[in-house]
Amino acid sequence: MTLQEYTASAHNFEECMKCTICTAYCPVVPVNPRYPGPKQAGPDGERLRLKDPYFFNKALKYCLNCKRCEVVCPSGVKVADIIQAARIKYDRSKPKIRDRMLAGTDFMGTLARPFAPIVNGMTGLGATKAVLDATLAIDRHRTFPKYSAHGFEGWLKRHAREQAKFERQVAYFHGCYVNYNFPQLGKDLVKVLNALGVGVQLLEGEKCCGVAMISNGMTREATRHAQHNVSVLQKAVDKGLTVVTTSSTCTFTIRDEYPELLKVDNAGVRDALVLATRYIYQALESGAATLRFREDYHARIAYHTPCHLEKLGWGLFSQELLKMIPGVEFILLDSNCCGIAGTYGFKKENYEASQAIGKPLFDQVEAVNPDFIACDCETCKWQLEMSTGYTVKHPISILAEALA
Amino acid sequence: MRFDTVIIGGGLAGLTAGITLQEAGRKTVIVSAGQNALHFFSGTFESTEAERERITEFFVRAGIPVHFQDGQRLMPAGTFRPAALSLEDVTLFPQTPVSSKALIVNFSGFHDFFTAFLAEGLEKNGTTCRICTLDLPEMEHLRLSPSEMRSVNIARVMDSCWEKAVADIRVMHKDEDLILLPQVFGLKDASIPGKILAALPARAAFIGTMPPSVPGIRTQMQLKRRYEILGGTFLMGDEVTSAAIHDGVVSSITTRNLDTSRIFGEYFILASGGYFSKGLAATPVQVVEPLFRLDVAFEEDRNGWYRQDFFADQPYMDFGVKTDADLHAVKDGQPLKNLFAVGSILGGTRPDFGSAAGLALRTAFAAADAITTSKPQE
Amino acid sequence: MKRNDYDVIIVGGGITGAGTARDCAMRGLKVLLVERHDIATGATGRNHGLLHSGARYAVTDQESANECIRENMILRRIASHCVDETDGLFITLPEDDLNYQAKFVESCLAAGISAEILDPKEALRMEPSVNPDLIGAVKVPDGSVDPFRLCAANMLDAKLHGAQVLLYTEVTEFIKEGDMVKGIRTFNHQTHQSAEYYAAITVNAAGIWGHHVAEMAGVPIGMYPAKGALLIFAHRVNDVVINRCRKPANADILVPGDTVCVIGTTSTKIPFEECDNVRVTPDEVNLLIEEGAKLAPALASTRILRAYAGVRPLVSADNDPTGRNISRGIVCLDHETRDGVKGFISITGGKLMTYRLMAEMATDLVCRKLHVDKACETATLPLPGSERKSFKEVAEQIWENPTTAQKATAGRLGTGAARIKDTSPLGQSLICECEEVSVGEIDAAIQRLDVSNLVDLRRRTRVGMGTCQGELCGCRAAGLLARAHGCTERARADLKDFMTERWKGMYPIGWGDALREAEYTQWVYKHVLGV
Repeated sequence: MTLQEYTASAHNFEECMKCTICTAYCPVVPVNPRYPGPKQAGPDGERLRLKDPYFFNKALKYCLNCKRCEVVCPSGVKVADIIQAARIKYDRSKPKIRDRMLAGTDFMGTLARPFAPIVNGMTGLGATKAVLDATLAIDRHRTFPKYSAHGFEGWLKRHAREQAKFERQVAYFHGCYVNYNFPQLGKDLVKVLNALGVGVQLLEGEKCCGVAMISNGMTREATRHAQHNVSVLQKAVDKGLTVVTTSSTCTFTIRDEYPELLKVDNAGVRDALVLATRYIYQALESGAATLRFREDYHARIAYHTPCHLEKLGWGLFSQELLKMIPGVEFILLDSNCCGIAGTYGFKKENYEASQAIGKPLFDQVEAVNPDFIACDCETCKWQLEMSTGYTVKHPISILAEALA
Repeated sequence: MRFDTVIIGGGLAGLTAGITLQEAGRKTVIVSAGQNALHFFSGTFESTEAERERITEFFVRAGIPVHFQDGQRLMPAGTFRPAALSLEDVTLFPQTPVSSKALIVNFSGFHDFFTAFLAEGLEKNGTTCRICTLDLPEMEHLRLSPSEMRSVNIARVMDSCWEKAVADIRVMHKDEDLILLPQVFGLKDASIPGKILAALPARAAFIGTMPPSVPGIRTQMQLKRRYEILGGTFLMGDEVTSAAIHDGVVSSITTRNLDTSRIFGEYFILASGGYFSKGLAATPVQVVEPLFRLDVAFEEDRNGWYRQDFFADQPYMDFGVKTDADLHAVKDGQPLKNLFAVGSILGGTRPDFGSAAGLALRTAFAAADAITTSKPQE
Repeated sequence: MKRNDYDVIIVGGGITGAGTARDCAMRGLKVLLVERHDIATGATGRNHGLLHSGARYAVTDQESANECIRENMILRRIASHCVDETDGLFITLPEDDLNYQAKFVESCLAAGISAEILDPKEALRMEPSVNPDLIGAVKVPDGSVDPFRLCAANMLDAKLHGAQVLLYTEVTEFIKEGDMVKGIRTFNHQTHQSAEYYAAITVNAAGIWGHHVAEMAGVPIGMYPAKGALLIFAHRVNDVVINRCRKPANADILVPGDTVCVIGTTSTKIPFEECDNVRVTPDEVNLLIEEGAKLAPALASTRILRAYAGVRPLVSADNDPTGRNISRGIVCLDHETRDGVKGFISITGGKLMTYRLMAEMATDLVCRKLHVDKACETATLPLPGSERKSFKEVAEQIWENPTTAQKATAGRLGTGAARIKDTSPLGQSLICECEEVSVGEIDAAIQRLDVSNLVDLRRRTRVGMGTCQGELCGCRAAGLLARAHGCTERARADLKDFMTERWKGMYPIGWGDALREAEYTQWVYKHVLGV
């Protein structure tokens, strides 16, 4: 018999064995009893939703989409994908203005950047925070990331000619954060790649990856961004370029969420998009290039693996690079969600849950007492800096400062 | 990426092999497709004495206190099973009746701890039982979610307020000489069960619950931590997608997450488990090892895979990957020179190494020993 | 000795017996129903759960087809909480004769069944899982019906109208005076007590076992036990019933039912001795998958939950002991006129779909004999639970923002969901996570629906019918039963029976994910829990 020859169901949710390991590792379950838990919200709920969409439960919005359930599932069930896909398919409620605002990272950036000092001053004010808290339900404890007056794109364009001189080239998907909030990370990447003999160029007009739109129910907008980005990435791939990134979440979104959730075909570009740490590690491992580090560099670094990097499985590249730096005392923090989950933690209704989720991580950081924290994700950085008081640096920035 | 040994599977067998090799100074990686059967672990490893010292020392070095003691273990369904090597917080009873009076304590609304079965099982063996429930305000929050009154979630709460539970139990306790509690203590902090035993007014024992198993998860976390402290690389949530074999030698594998970056190794250990863990896979006509397509010992006629009695020993559980005497996995009738198969992927094909946890431990030791004592390959 | 006197005794707790008990009770008779096992243990609980439109019989048997469509419309009204109005498709595949379609549609219309020819593309839009190679499709008013729920609701209504129901009570002997059946002797399998019950009329509604019951009363009925095997898939692949538009054959109906879908059936004559213990063979499993995948190709790679088989109570026409002349229609035998045995009638043949009509025919006969002149009302008065049409309305009316489990409860119990008193967090906590069955719903079933063990509980609540097949819920539910019955030893034995019964359906399809689940479950029960 050739039928049923597959050893697993073609319907991924049916591979769930009800072992409940996912609920043991879900960061939301212990802090929010309104959330039904990944097994119930995911594969269990899916059978009921297939029976009748009436069984869709609005509490699925409490899922952080951190994907930890998928990382630990012994059966390969894409639990979080099932949950997010159900939200996209069945949730008919419209996103609030607040959610649209939080999700529109590049739109906000474009608007705010020319007035960066004013905007930064305003959003930092207690009065403004109180207004945001009261009117838009953005929690008053949160500090908006500061906008940089000069974007990264402009900076790299000004240096395009010298970058073009390098024989080996990569394109850089910098993402909203590097462009609007923290151009220094982009500059650090250019420094490190140049040291490897690689020049950096911009893509032909990238847009926000759309991760915040997906989590805020703006699927149509996210899909448009995805289609745009895939076509832009395709142009780079057609030129034979690898595309490097510094944001683990943007990378994960473009590689995996585009096809899985938005049904945008990225097969032509998926393998060409890599985190810069992986690109650098492989360049060093293959012996194609070497990096020289300062001899006087000393740092006790606690490394936090962001959820989406955990899911990508590429944390080891960042970790191995940091371990290569002489004078680094490397401490791997336990695998824990920090609780911010992009825009989730900014919402007033999630603030307490967000902080409770991150608490074991904050406690461990305090116990370890490092010089600073290393992490590949910008939103984890905001959360960890706000909640622990320790500085958070991107591994690329650490490499850049340790270079001889 | 290049390692001395590449281990496929991060359960008890894979971690034991990994830790043993790291202790011997080898550079290893473990690729683990999610968490594993240690999460259903009952807390008891073995009922025989083989390699007793080595196993004990192995766990003690990993910060997991174990004890060897001949006795009976009280199972969650109220039955007794022989056991020997166990986690320190598993109580073994040398004889029945285990006590004259027992107090069985549960959390109200926790359906995964079977107090009625325990009481019936004990009373049959001469112990009078009384069942009490704990109502801690700290649990109210948990109870609001209809599906999440589970061992692990209770354990998370208990990590911070076990002392309140102990205080309540002290009030409930009358003249019982044994107190039974569900195994929901010490998820992150292994010292809690011991502290509870010391603080209670009578001898106490922790009895298992429905999975997930709290001591099992703790054991998994501690072994993994031990492995990483020793410098091992643990790839959690990744899955091996292909393997390159030339002339009877495995040279490299690829994984889903690392796609184009091959992982090279001098030795490979396959510890990918049984059917549940997908180390073995059954179709309507055959049982296969899906990754290397190794030879599998199984019965041709599907009718012979099962017994009608659910509780009988099932023949399908004995099917497993074929190996030579030294645990080299066999493919197309020939042993692969640098691939070892260990743990439950062997099914019942290697009764000489025991079963279940014992099989995992002993075959992992054997494979690691073979690797550390052999000469480097050409 | 105390005499237990009734107007009518009904033997058999399947849907026919339950329906007859309801009808008799509603007409004011004093009713006793005895069943040797639990409700719906025979053919009632072992079929597709198809709410026939009658289209399947239209070409070959207009009478049955017409009965079906009339009862179909009645059940939608009186049993709304048991019925899912899915509609059905009769598809023509390339290997089928498309000419059959015209004859099929004509016959349907003649029987009063609406039948609309659809363009294959339209059929695909209506039911995306249907074989895309189809060359023709006809839409008919098929649906699905939950036989356990239907049987339990009839039983409950019979009791609400004063009927007495004795489960696990087997008839051992008929009490006869000359050519008159005066009553029955019984043995209760739980209490191990014997008893005698008397009534003016005894109705044999025992399905295939009615053969033996009639023999005991001294009358022959030539029954023909036909085994039918079916497979349950782990989720609802289709939302619309899919049939083949051709002469009825093996495995040509795929029915969506609650959270699953069911393919069937086969048809094999089996000896009477096997009726109590039918098992599905590998050949039957293979045939069901092969034919099923022709209806919906996704079945080839969908997880199978279990295999099961039932025995149809087919009746040979009188004086034909060979069984060649088989009727699938309703057989109502007045043994007084047929065999000269007074006070005894048999109601058999028929199908789940026509149970109410069968009950009405039997009750009419009983009433004639007892000179009772009250009209049948079972076609108009809704069953308990079906007082409202939509379970969603029910859920929203009982609870503000119903939880997933509350929605599921309303789906299973209809308006009866309002009787679940315990809405505290403790009462709401889930026992069965796959099918979302709460402590409150289980307690209500135990109190109201005669549950004596876990298998009974499953029939009334869907506990253990989901993906894990009892792995998570078996022990938990056993704990609740132990508490309700005050007997742990019995609960422990129940748990073993329950898991063995679940396994009986799993090993015939024991590969892939089903075998993974089995390995995990057997590991947990034997090695972790020590059951």
